[in-house]
Formats: sequence, structure tokens, C-alpha cells
Amino acid sequence: MAADATGVIHDLGYQPYTGPRFGRAAVVRTLTGYSLRSAFGLGRGARAKIVPVGVFVLMCLPAVINAFLVARGGTRAFPYDTYSYLVRVVGMTIFLAAQAPELVSRDLRHRVLPLYFARPLRPADYPLAKLVALITAGLIVLDVPLLLLYVSTIVGVHGPGAVWHETVLLLPGLAYGLLWSVVLATIALALASFSGRRAIAAGAVAGFFFLTWVLSEVLGTVATGPGHAVTSSTAAHVAGLVSPFTLLDGVRLALGGTQPGQVPDPGAGWGSGYALLLVVLVAASVAALVTRYRKVGAA
Amino acid sequence: MFNPTIASITLRAALGRRRALLYAIPPLILIGVSAILRLTSPADPAWPARILGTFGFSVVLPLTALIIGTSVLGAEVDDGSVVHLLATPVPRRVIVATKFAVATAVTIVFAAVPELLAGLVAGQGRLALGLLAGALVAAVIYNALFVCLSTATSRALVAGLAYVVIWEGVLANLVGGARILSISHYGLAVATAVAPGQALKAGVGLTAAGVLGAVVTAGTLAAAVRRLGSFTLRGDTA
Amino acid sequence: MTANDMSSIELRGVSQWYGNVVAVNDVTMTIGPGVTGLLGPNGAGKSTLLHLMAGFLAPSRGELTVGGAPAWRRPDVYSMLGLVTEGESAYPFLTGAEFVRAAARLHRLPDPAAATRRAIGLVDMVGPMNRRISTYSKGMRQRIRVAAALVHDPEVLLLDEPFNGMDPRQRLQMMDLLRRLGHSGRTIVFSSHILEEVAEVAGTIQVMVAGRLAASGDFRAIRRLMTSRPHVFVVRSGDDRRLASALIGRPAVRGVELTADGLQVQAADYGAFSLDIAGLARAEGIRLRELLPADESLESVFAYLVAS
Repeated sequence: MAADATGVIHDLGYQPYTGPRFGRAAVVRTLTGYSLRSAFGLGRGARAKIVPVGVFVLMCLPAVINAFLVARGGTRAFPYDTYSYLVRVVGMTIFLAAQAPELVSRDLRHRVLPLYFARPLRPADYPLAKLVALITAGLIVLDVPLLLLYVSTIVGVHGPGAVWHETVLLLPGLAYGLLWSVVLATIALALASFSGRRAIAAGAVAGFFFLTWVLSEVLGTVATGPGHAVTSSTAAHVAGLVSPFTLLDGVRLALGGTQPGQVPDPGAGWGSGYALLLVVLVAASVAALVTRYRKVGAA
Repeated sequence: MFNPTIASITLRAALGRRRALLYAIPPLILIGVSAILRLTSPADPAWPARILGTFGFSVVLPLTALIIGTSVLGAEVDDGSVVHLLATPVPRRVIVATKFAVATAVTIVFAAVPELLAGLVAGQGRLALGLLAGALVAAVIYNALFVCLSTATSRALVAGLAYVVIWEGVLANLVGGARILSISHYGLAVATAVAPGQALKAGVGLTAAGVLGAVVTAGTLAAAVRRLGSFTLRGDTA
Repeated sequence: MTANDMSSIELRGVSQWYGNVVAVNDVTMTIGPGVTGLLGPNGAGKSTLLHLMAGFLAPSRGELTVGGAPAWRRPDVYSMLGLVTEGESAYPFLTGAEFVRAAARLHRLPDPAAATRRAIGLVDMVGPMNRRISTYSKGMRQRIRVAAALVHDPEVLLLDEPFNGMDPRQRLQMMDLLRRLGHSGRTIVFSSHILEEVAEVAGTIQVMVAGRLAASGDFRAIRRLMTSRPHVFVVRSGDDRRLASALIGRPAVRGVELTADGLQVQAADYGAFSLDIAGLARAEGIRLRELLPADESLESVFAYLVAS
């Protein structure tokens, strides 16, 4: 046992993996799926599910009420396009304020972004995957109650003609729900990504939606005078520009929606203005998200 | 009852971070909207009361107080750096009082003063003064509540948000009795006293508001002192 | 402990639980001046014990006093106690000097600037002291927090995993600092799960396993108490092989191994063996050159305690 300064590395038979590997597409798919599950609190404790499940139940309440009414021989109680405006506003505000930080702020806080980007994942893939997940989550929260409404109405009608009629009304409602989700989720995610502290991110998202909504409502009332129904006027249309909710409502009316909303019908001119502003908001939010994650390790 | 060292650290934390944007932007919106409305003379003659009242007083002020009030103490409790304050002989009531004072001062600058400015811009001097008085009182009570919340729970901002949006925003407008426990109505009562006849719709009388406001402030601050005195650092297990 | 009452920490039957988890289980100990190391694996309750001593946790049962009075809900205790928690929390927007000076002011020191300079000098952070804490490395942050805990010259200093994140040179300096503070009569308690750290600095160790106090005192003495395990000695002599064959016949010896560096003897009974070998060597005419305990380092203590 002389003090020999040589060393040996033994061959234990380990072999590198040279087979096929999943590529970028699979990584993005997995991240999206995981984020979608996080948005509903799946895979975490019971406490993480309280808000998303609670909001989902809240959003289904009108459909449940409708089921009762239809069973007693009534007609459908809620329209497919607006569903219940107030419930949607409150529900989406709470849902996005609680869950958008779950998706992005947690990773920022614990600085795990370098772990993500050490995979075949481009810097833009991360926020876009999260965005797709949040939009899908919002879609579920908005459109599944519509489907429930549809089903609960269908059982009460007679004949294929009536069913077809309901279906024709349902489809634009579903598309409108998708539009809601795209716009609101994008803005919420962009706002939430600016802070690693969940409370601040939640405050920013809820504050933005709540503040702009109340402001739009107040400006709308101010524009039309006290106690009057919502009438068309430039001031009223401008009031609708302030909040994403009213922008969406205006676009709905401009596209032919019949339910009266929070804002007066903007018509073709203002309607395209509303639509344009929506596009700008979504584009700006996406740009902000992509830019934010361009530099990895940004805390 | 006031420690300048703690005050200066708290002030630097409140003003120097990105979250200062969260409470700097809404008052600018308030003043801007008032200016625009003044220039365009909308149909509703009572528009100043709506903008300054419903928007400014019932939304901008509580949200600003919420973000400021929950973060003066809550941020440090959250990341554990409050130990540096607590591991000193400074009495807990001095810590709470100092943080509360700084939070109230910052809230006044970022929410109450803009109320006054927006009111002046809207051309309503009397209303502006009334709302300033109300905002001062409401800022005090709000911050006491939110500082207390941040010693009670780690989700203070969400809890405060629920209070502002659900309790004050929805219930107090629907259920008359709920107004007795609504801080914004205490403030509105003071505002109505200074500027009567401005359709501010305070749900509580002035004396009731004064008494309840004082009780809420003293009670929440005392609870905060008590909880801070029993501040617990858990070790490996929790 | 009467002469040093002001800086001694006494625990009597202290237990702490939270829900179903018992973090500290019936611990009785007295900690006096000098450096005491709290040793144990992660989750053993070391942090909990330190927080109990620091007045940031109330015992669920038992009594705990610092300097004669309980630390819980008594802010005055902090004028003679300093605490360095685990983790890196500090105010990132302050410079190191501002942070320590703020601590000095909060402790109502008559000359905060001088105390700040002294404390920062003790932890060797004079160079970076005017940079923001957000620019510090982990080890630097740890050291500035130690400075803030030392600025008021406390009699008792509690440190939770203080060497975390320090490079070897910083660690040596910190160990040196703790030793000096201990020698000057202060009560220093620090926790670690790394044996070398505790062995090098602490005079007394308290070993915690699963919330219970498994052993306390001088680690050599603890080792000797564990007679159920054989002690291993390294013996070098003039004639190893002959000594080996003589030793193997003794009842106090359980095994002998011939190695290039001498004999490795496994002795069942420390006391009997020590007496034996001297007489044996003289009877055989073998010159003993070296007799060393081989496993007296903390490692073996720890491993044995934990394994049991």
C-alpha cells in the first residue's frame, strides 16, 4: 500500500442516452398543460383550489337557476352572449387576480426561471405557453357555464327545430366567451408578471380591472345624466373605452348583440374603434410579456 | 411613540420600489379625468360628486390605502426581515405606531391630496375641502385596519381586497345596515359635515362615524401591537 | 451559574409543538459563557430551539430563561441578546453601513457611528460597506447581518447556521470571531449540521436528534461515554507485529489491524485498554511511539448517535 498517486475511473457500464428525445414542441405542451392545471389549483393543496373552484361554481349559478326555471316550464332565463354580465365581471376579476400570479409570480419569486430555460425552451415560449394556459382556463370558466345553460335549456324544448335554434344562438356566445378570455387573460398575465410577490401582483390585476370598471361605469352615468337609460353619445362611447369589460361589451353590441349592455351600442364607427383598442391592448400585453422574459434570471 | 429610524426605512421602502407605481398612477388618473370632464362639461350636473365620490373616494382611496397599508409591515413579515426590527428593545407599540404613521402619511399624499386637487380642478372648492377632510379621516382608519391585517395573516392584501370590493363595494350599497361598519362611510360622514348638501350619501351620522372610527382605529392598532409582541418565528418544521 | 447569571440560558423540560409536529421534546440544558454548538441533522429542532431562546417562540411546555427571566414577550432582553436568523433577509435598498447603523440606533446606542465601524470591522466588511445589500453575495449578506447583531455588544449571541454560503476564508474568519467572543466571556450559541464546523469552534456541544437532546458536553467526554461501541486507536511502535500479537490476547481488545501507518486497535473498554497497553509494551520491550484515538472527531460521535 505504497502511497501511489494514480487514480482509476471504473467503467460501471453506464451509457449515455442516444435515443430520440422530445423536442421543443413537447416541452411547450407540457408546460402549458402544467400551467393549466396550476390555474385551477390541481396538483397543489386544497387551499389552492378554493378560489378557482369557488369562482367556477359562482359562474355556474345562473345556469343552475336556469335549469330550475326551465324545469318548471319556463323559457331560457339568460342570454348566451352576455350570460350574466355582473357575475362575469366579478368572477373573472377574482379568478384572474388570484390565478395569474399563481402562474407567473411564483416562478419569479423563487427564481427558478434559469431551470426552465436550461431546457430546449426559447425565451418567448415560456410566457406564451403560460398565456395559452391562462386563456384556456378562462375559457373553461366562461364557456362551460354556457354549455350548462345550453344543456339545461335543451332538455326543456321540443323538436329538432328548437334545438337547432338554441345551437345557433349558442355558438356566437361561445366565441364571445373566447374573446373575453383572450383579452382579459392576456392583460392579467402581463400585469402579474411584473412582480414576484403574489400579493402585489394580485393587487395590481384586481386593482386595474376594478378601478377601470368603476371608472367606466361612473363616466357612463355622468355622460348620460342621472336616472336616464344608457343613450348614445360621444361621451358615453368614450366612457366605454376605459375598461376592457366595456370594450368587450361594445364590440358585442357592434357585432349585432341584442342584449343591452353597460355601454350604448357603438355602431360601426365607434365599434371598430373599440375593436382596434382591444387589439392594441392584447398586442401590447403580449409584447410586454415576451420582453419581460427575454432576459432570464430577471427577478 | 415614533421612531425616526424605522420611519426612514419604511418610507424608503414605500417610495423606492416598483410598487410605488401602483399607488402613483390611480391619483393621476383621478386628477386627469376631473380635468377632462371639467373641460367637456358632461350632461350630468352632479358629475363632480360621482367622480370624486364614487370613483375617487370609494375606489381610489381604499385601494391606495390597501396597497400601502398592507405593505408597510406585511412585506417585512413576509420575507422575514421584520426580525431586524423586533430583535431590538424598541417597544412593539412604537414599531406599529411608526409604521402606521408613515403609511397614513403616504396614503394622504397619494390619495387624499389628489382628492383635493381633483376637486379644485373640477371647480368645486367646498366639495374638495369636504372630501379632503373625509379622505384624511378615512386614510387613518383604513391604514389602521390594514396594518392590523398584515400582522394577522400572510394574505392581508387579499383579505383587504375582499373587504374593499365585496363589503364596501357591494354590500354597503345594498344592505343599509352594513354601512355602519364601512370605513368609507365614516369618511363620507366627515365630508358631508364639512361640505353639506353635496349628495355624498353618507350612511352614518357624524358622531356615530367619529365614535366608530376611533374605536376601529384604536382597536385594530391595539390588536396589531399585541400580535407583533407575540411574533413567532417557526423553525425547520413549518 | 451564579457568577454568570446575566448571560446564561436555562431550559427546563422545554417542549414545543405545532399541530401534530413536536419540534422540541423535553429539553433540559444550561448554556453558559463560551461557545456552544447545536448539532443535529436537518429537522432536528435546532432552529426551533434557537428561536425559543431568542424569544421568538413560546415553549408549549417547560421553562426557558435568558439571564434569569423568560425571553418571550420581553423586548428588553434584546439589549443583551443578538440573533442572526437563517436565510438572507435584510433590506436590499440599504447599504451595509446604513443597515448596521440603523440597528445601532434601534438599540439606542450612545455612539451609533463608532459602534457601526467596530461591528463592520469585526466581520471584515469595511470594503463593501457603502454598497447596497442587493449587490452583496450570500456570504457577505450573512456577515453584515452578523455585524448588525453584534453592534450593541450583546452578552448572548445566537446564530442559526451562520456559515451557510460562506467561502472557506470567510468561514475561518467567522470561526475565529466566534472563538474570540466566546473567550471574552460571552455566551455564543450556533447551530449547524456540519460536523467540522462545530468541532472546530465549539467548546461544548448539544446534540439534537428528532427534537430530543441526545447528548451534551465536551464531545470527547461524550465519546468516552459510549462504551457500547469499540474505540479505535492508532498505535505506532518499534515492533508493530509483535505488539499486535500481544494485544490480541488481551480481553480489552476486540480487534487489531496491521496497516502501513501502524496498528489500528479496536478497544472495547477505553479505560482498561489505556492501562493495558502501557504495561504490555514494557513487558514485551516494545517502544511505543504514538498512541492516538482515531475516531474522536465529532463525526463518529454524531454518526453513532444518529445511527442509534
